[in-house]
Amino acid sequence: MTIHTRKAVDTAVSYPSQKYVRQRTREASGLEPPPTTLTTTRAHLDRNANALGAPMARLVAAQPRQASPWASPRSSLLPSSLSEFHGATLGASLQKKRRVWQPKGSLQVTASSAKKILIMGGTRFIGVFLSRLLVQEGHQVTLFTRGKAPITQQLPGESDQDYADFKSKILHLKGDRKDFEFVKTSLAAEGFDVVYDINGREATEVEPILDALPKLEQFIYCSSAGVYLKSDMLPHFEIDAVDPKSRHKGKLETESLLDSRGVNWTSLRPVYIYGPLNYNPVEEWFFHRLKAGRPIPVPNSGVQITQLGHVKDLARAFITVLGNSKASKQVYNISGSKYVTFDGLAKACAKAGGFPEPEIVHYNPKEFDFGKKKAFPFRDQHFFASVEKAERELGWTPEYGLVDGLADSYNLDFGRGTFRKAADFSTDDVILGKSLVLQS
Amino acid sequence: MAVASASTAAALPSLHYASRSLPHRTLRLLPSIPYTSHSTVTRLSSRRLPNRYSSPSSPSSFSVKAAAASASKKSVLIVNTNSGGHAVIGFYFAQELLGSGHEVTVLTVGDEGSDKMKKPPFTRFSELVSSGGKTLWGDPAEVGDIVGKNKFDVVLDNNGKDLDTVKPVADWAKSAGVEQFLYISSAGIYKTSDEIPHVEGDLVKEDASHVAVEKYIAGLSFGSWAVFRPQYMIGSGNNKDCEEWFFDRIVRNRPVPLPGSGMQLTNISHVRDLSSMLSLAVENSDAANGKIFNCVSDRAVTFDGLAKLCAQAAGRELKIIHYDPKAVGIDAKKAFPFRNMHFYAEPRAAKQILGWTSTTNLPEDLKERYDEYVKIGRDKKEMKFDIDDKILESLKVAVTV
Repeated sequence: MTIHTRKAVDTAVSYPSQKYVRQRTREASGLEPPPTTLTTTRAHLDRNANALGAPMARLVAAQPRQASPWASPRSSLLPSSLSEFHGATLGASLQKKRRVWQPKGSLQVTASSAKKILIMGGTRFIGVFLSRLLVQEGHQVTLFTRGKAPITQQLPGESDQDYADFKSKILHLKGDRKDFEFVKTSLAAEGFDVVYDINGREATEVEPILDALPKLEQFIYCSSAGVYLKSDMLPHFEIDAVDPKSRHKGKLETESLLDSRGVNWTSLRPVYIYGPLNYNPVEEWFFHRLKAGRPIPVPNSGVQITQLGHVKDLARAFITVLGNSKASKQVYNISGSKYVTFDGLAKACAKAGGFPEPEIVHYNPKEFDFGKKKAFPFRDQHFFASVEKAERELGWTPEYGLVDGLADSYNLDFGRGTFRKAADFSTDDVILGKSLVLQS
Repeated sequence: MAVASASTAAALPSLHYASRSLPHRTLRLLPSIPYTSHSTVTRLSSRRLPNRYSSPSSPSSFSVKAAAASASKKSVLIVNTNSGGHAVIGFYFAQELLGSGHEVTVLTVGDEGSDKMKKPPFTRFSELVSSGGKTLWGDPAEVGDIVGKNKFDVVLDNNGKDLDTVKPVADWAKSAGVEQFLYISSAGIYKTSDEIPHVEGDLVKEDASHVAVEKYIAGLSFGSWAVFRPQYMIGSGNNKDCEEWFFDRIVRNRPVPLPGSGMQLTNISHVRDLSSMLSLAVENSDAANGKIFNCVSDRAVTFDGLAKLCAQAAGRELKIIHYDPKAVGIDAKKAFPFRNMHFYAEPRAAKQILGWTSTTNLPEDLKERYDEYVKIGRDKKEMKFDIDDKILESLKVAVTV
């Protein structure tokens, strides 16, 4: 067995005591200036900064976790929903014992709702925002990644101070999640209260996690609305039929596994996620064409309806289900409040980036063979889901409208000259060379 | 419902069913019926207990608060149009109110003896009378004279599309001390947008005549007022064709010509959804006060999808033809019963504020409608399809499938 060390990214301990306040206010009409920093509306527990967040300098992950008699039990400072949750899962006779991570020499004992959280992934997109929110909440957050991407990166608009604080607190567990033995051993050695699985695709990848953490309080899974069976009646609700043959069946199998294992799980099903750092070329695909002044080729009528959800709203949804008894064994669609046509999305991207209204060219995809290349970033069908269950049960609501969400993405990412995939207009040129105006 | 785990404090709900501690509601029929004919689909949820998933709009505790005294019997006046798609709303609403023990008077526009009264729902007004309702006829502008000394708690105007028609009714209601005024407007007043759906609070076309009515009612300071914006509805007793348009063609083995791509979304509700929403507004007049409600089901269907569902309900083959109305040179409004565009509103306010749930189940509801269609012999009726023929001719399509 290889011993992998779990090390803090930055061993310096910092003691910020900032509160983050959302600065955006919604106005009834029109577009508001996009926020330039990652902010959150959550009220923060006032706590001493050196609790929990301060990492141990080095840890050899070989010791099994033990219930420690001196660790503070769940305190009455918990919000009531959290108490309910713990009371219900564990029974009054078994109070949760946890080891409170403390910097060497400190006498701090923290009685708070802070948890030891593992994020599978967390260095590319959703996790980048989610981990920040969790750290701000005072949780101890570890990212499990292979380390291919930098463990942390300063976000555009994020202050040096904020970034330094985050960087000092986030922890990294390096490994390949497909190495199931390693996953099981390292996680068992560490022990985590909560796992956020942001990058899991197959049920087999989740089994070792569950095996390693029998006392896991909650497994929160990033699934996909792609599991829904295509239907003539929309939007998709969580009760709808799912498609065991879909491209996303691994997500479905994972949800099934979670359910069968008796673990306290919550699954979120996003539609199309967008926002700064998006590595799926959704808005980026439009921005490239708008910037190049090129027409936007849209398959068929352009009235197909899709739905985008901002990554920050998704991150907030992930926070909202944490320790939330209502969310136990529930699935939630998470996306934007409204849906949009393909044509409408092209126009919204233009508006968000300050481009003139684009020329849209409709074409019949059946007349072309693009090989392995995707000529358009969305599935050629109506695809949208209702988020009212999350709104009703969790009190979560998407804060970004389409245009201001796209503006946020543009201003913090593409508009600054950054993008993940270079522009590739090869399929466009094929289409434009032989375009057919279809009835709309 | 599972018993709360014994080890917890007594007040805590069971973790599994934490969100199930709700009053029993009529579950939607939808969860048990797959929407498509994909018969081999294994529903994952078949392994899960049926009440694990709430119906899409089961009310949470914060949204359903009965207004004080709302459970008491009310005297309701419905001013009802004598024709058109909305006529059936008043009929169902009256039936539902009577079923709940309220007093109902329906004032239908025009004369009792007019030809218009020979069509449903008016042909079924005797049902209202035998349930204890009163039916009157006349000019709504003279409503005060017609109803005389009768006092009403609630008035629903399900008639006027413009201020000239509704103002006399609203003014009379105000002066007569009517506590709650409800108005059937239209979801057609929403401004079109690339973003879907129409949600309460979205911009409306300022020059739409219903808008002036809505604003006028809002300004009259009723104890409670609310506006309802419906789309299209199906249901026994309907006055205007909806699904019949599809059945007419399907049973005669004719192709169904759909304008455009067939992907346009619309909202087809069973009229009982509308009447249940209105009833909830009457019973929760405080919560409903000052609100706009999209009076529709909570699912959109495409034109293609609706055609398929109608064919399935009829147990027949379906052939769809898409055409461009402009290219063919016909007015889509005359050729097809629905607006040729995305036209889809969602009933978010009703769900959030009234705890209302939709029970429209198109596959089942259309089956019922088809059964009635055949029962009244409409499938055998001689019919001409002049516009269809023109479309098919221009596309050179053979009529028999």
